[in-house]
Amino acid sequence: MAYMSMGEAHRRITDYLNRFSDAVSSQDVASLKQLLSFSSNSPSLLSLADSLNVFQDANRLIKQSDNYSPFADITVPLFRSLQHYRTGNLVDAYLAFEKSANAFIQEFRNWESAWALEALYVIAYEIRVLAERADRELASNGKSPEKLKAAGSFLMKVFGVLALGTVHLCRSVIRSIETARIFDFEEFPKRDKVTYMYYTGRLEVFNENFPAADQKLSYALINCNPRSEANIRSVSAVLIVMILKYLIPVKLSIGILPKDWLLEKYNLVEYSNIVQALRRGDLRLLRHALEEHEDQFLRSGVYLVLEKLELQVYQRLFKKIYIIQKQKDPSKAHQMKLDVIVKALKWLEMDMDVDEVECIVAILIHKNLVKGYFAHKSKVVVLSKQDPFPKLNGKPVNS
Amino acid sequence: MERRHHSQSHSQRQQRRNHFSSSSSSSSNQSRSNNRFSFPKSSSSSSSSSANDVRDRRRETQEEKQEEAIVGTCPFMCPEAERLQRQRLRDLAVFERLHGDPRNSSPALAVKKFCRTMSAKEVRASDVRPLPVLEETLNYLLSLLDSTEHPFEVIHDFVFDRTRSVRQDLIMQNIVNDKAINMFEKIVKFHVISHHKLRSSCSSSSISPLHYLNLEQLTKALTSLYNLYEANRSSKPIHEKEAEFRSFYVLLHLDSNGQPVGESLSLWFRHVPSPIIKSKEMWFARQALRYFQMGNYRRFLSTVAAEASYLQYCIIEPYIDEVRSLALCCIHNCCYKLHPYPLGHLSKVLMMEESDVELFCNAYGLQTCIDEVGNKLLPTKQTTFCRPKGGLQNYSFLGFQQLGSHMLSSLFYNHFLLVPMKPFSHVDGWN
Repeated sequence: MAYMSMGEAHRRITDYLNRFSDAVSSQDVASLKQLLSFSSNSPSLLSLADSLNVFQDANRLIKQSDNYSPFADITVPLFRSLQHYRTGNLVDAYLAFEKSANAFIQEFRNWESAWALEALYVIAYEIRVLAERADRELASNGKSPEKLKAAGSFLMKVFGVLALGTVHLCRSVIRSIETARIFDFEEFPKRDKVTYMYYTGRLEVFNENFPAADQKLSYALINCNPRSEANIRSVSAVLIVMILKYLIPVKLSIGILPKDWLLEKYNLVEYSNIVQALRRGDLRLLRHALEEHEDQFLRSGVYLVLEKLELQVYQRLFKKIYIIQKQKDPSKAHQMKLDVIVKALKWLEMDMDVDEVECIVAILIHKNLVKGYFAHKSKVVVLSKQDPFPKLNGKPVNS
Repeated sequence: MERRHHSQSHSQRQQRRNHFSSSSSSSSNQSRSNNRFSFPKSSSSSSSSSANDVRDRRRETQEEKQEEAIVGTCPFMCPEAERLQRQRLRDLAVFERLHGDPRNSSPALAVKKFCRTMSAKEVRASDVRPLPVLEETLNYLLSLLDSTEHPFEVIHDFVFDRTRSVRQDLIMQNIVNDKAINMFEKIVKFHVISHHKLRSSCSSSSISPLHYLNLEQLTKALTSLYNLYEANRSSKPIHEKEAEFRSFYVLLHLDSNGQPVGESLSLWFRHVPSPIIKSKEMWFARQALRYFQMGNYRRFLSTVAAEASYLQYCIIEPYIDEVRSLALCCIHNCCYKLHPYPLGHLSKVLMMEESDVELFCNAYGLQTCIDEVGNKLLPTKQTTFCRPKGGLQNYSFLGFQQLGSHMLSSLFYNHFLLVPMKPFSHVDGWN
């Protein structure tokens, strides 16, 4: 390394900082990207690293200038990371970069549009590369390699910008991803695609677009790569649980029940009773399950989706009554007295008068969950002889 | 310190845009940042000299905002300069005219008009009314709702515009305390009542522009109110009427499929504080939502009759029609043809006076008939069943006591709004 004067070092540092703040103020993502891409080993970044070693007081420089201080939270750790990176100290480089990246996300959230999305992708890429190298360093020193896992949760945060009620920002971000010719979605590393599909799939759940939610969340699940299933704390397993928490309500809404082993394996106890209720037509159990986990379901945003399963449970209950009647007297099975239903509901500790039962019957018929008609005067439901309880067949109950 | 500025600036800018912008977009999303309203009082923002860099651009907006938080000094409901100008230009609303003279007003009658300001730098403190004046202004405006001299649309139009100006003055002065909450609650109540009354008076099925604009402001004011509740969380964990006002959001969004913009209810519920969720008012709203989504018309209508407050009723009213429509559809299509449905029973199901039931059926192209003993019946599976072309007229709702107009202003001062209406009590026809 040729000798660099203090003045020269100072100049290079301020040069970088100026380019950074200019890039932000003019929303120039191309320039911003270059300033963040460590692994490119660009000469300018390398010489910046050298400059930081010569001019050791960059922090003060940043914090005292009105020009640079707004981004201090990003640039100070970024510089530190770069220095560590240059000296081959990968674990420290990772830690500092992570700090800078978190600060970057905060800023990203405040910007009104998703202009810096590509820069965010660069950061996401860099953090993973750094994490992998840091883990190698840890492993070679006999320590446990956990930086990659940390990077994984950082990536969740990155895509967290897509979620959480910043709907207008989501739309522009999603639009820019899905229409950008610059990126081919397929080119991105699988993990990014999985997390992206998770967050956008989740948004679809909130907006009750079940077919889209199913498609996206299923994609995420399939591509989750459960290679390290045994390690329940691995990123993949954590992701699987996160995906399932949303995918299960979606599947239930289109009439597909998860197997018990799935719920057991990933400890999704909150759904066991709901699945049971659907299987047995047990309305009381459904209400009970919703009450028991009300807070959790409300916070995760699936409560309203699960509540809607009520009609399917009614369908199942009526079907059971029908089956029992058929066993007793096949010739009369297709006629169901409303009083019988009232009794069945009473047995489930649900107090409903015959008028309300008539209403439920009417709605089930109207929504094609039951085929038949009801006779008001004789208080009877007459079921179609063929397929009186049609399956949902992958479509949500039509409203 | 700096970071807080930045994280505020975005959501605050959004907030201000909502208050000052034109009626382009509807409800804004509820922001998440906690410290949105609290400006740091210390002068941490040292003013910079260079005008071009990013920091300055941000600080400028920040300083702008601190400047925007001016303290008004206007002692009247309307700044004198504006009143004199509008007198000259004969731009006085009916309520502002002294003895009906379109060229003459008085400080007791003139009320500041809403005007879109692009930048608070143009605003003088003498044009902005301080809090006590705003409170008096609002009370005066709401007292006009009792007026019997003018049709409701005229009253609404005036109060609509002038309360918008009151809101603007509050925002400009960054008044975010309990009193602001109180005022916003009253303004929301006004919009809710208008939501109901404007609907009664419009005859066509298309929603009138007044009604639509009112709904827009209702949503904006409601969002501001929620932000105020959040901003005051540290001093008062849950406000007295917060549960009811939160329930309005649910009741406004019962039909989630009809919402193209705005936060879905699932997202919205994530951030509602637990005590609110467990409140009686929110419980009602959630039940209404559950029954509406399920199509359980029987429970929906009877629950509304039994438990809705007057304001909740006003909001949920359009959905009552929708549910009744669904009920009629189900009964008509799914009931055995040889068992015509008794109107008496239908009246119970629809929670409607029997005389109205007949009209209701007719509106759907259905004929009723009478049996041997004189009971009125609805034959089912008629081929003439169709959706009404025009709008529906207003039908009775069993259990709902319509308040006479002279009682409207009392809505703002009593707490009886939270008392549920008794089912099957005195029924008033609507006109």
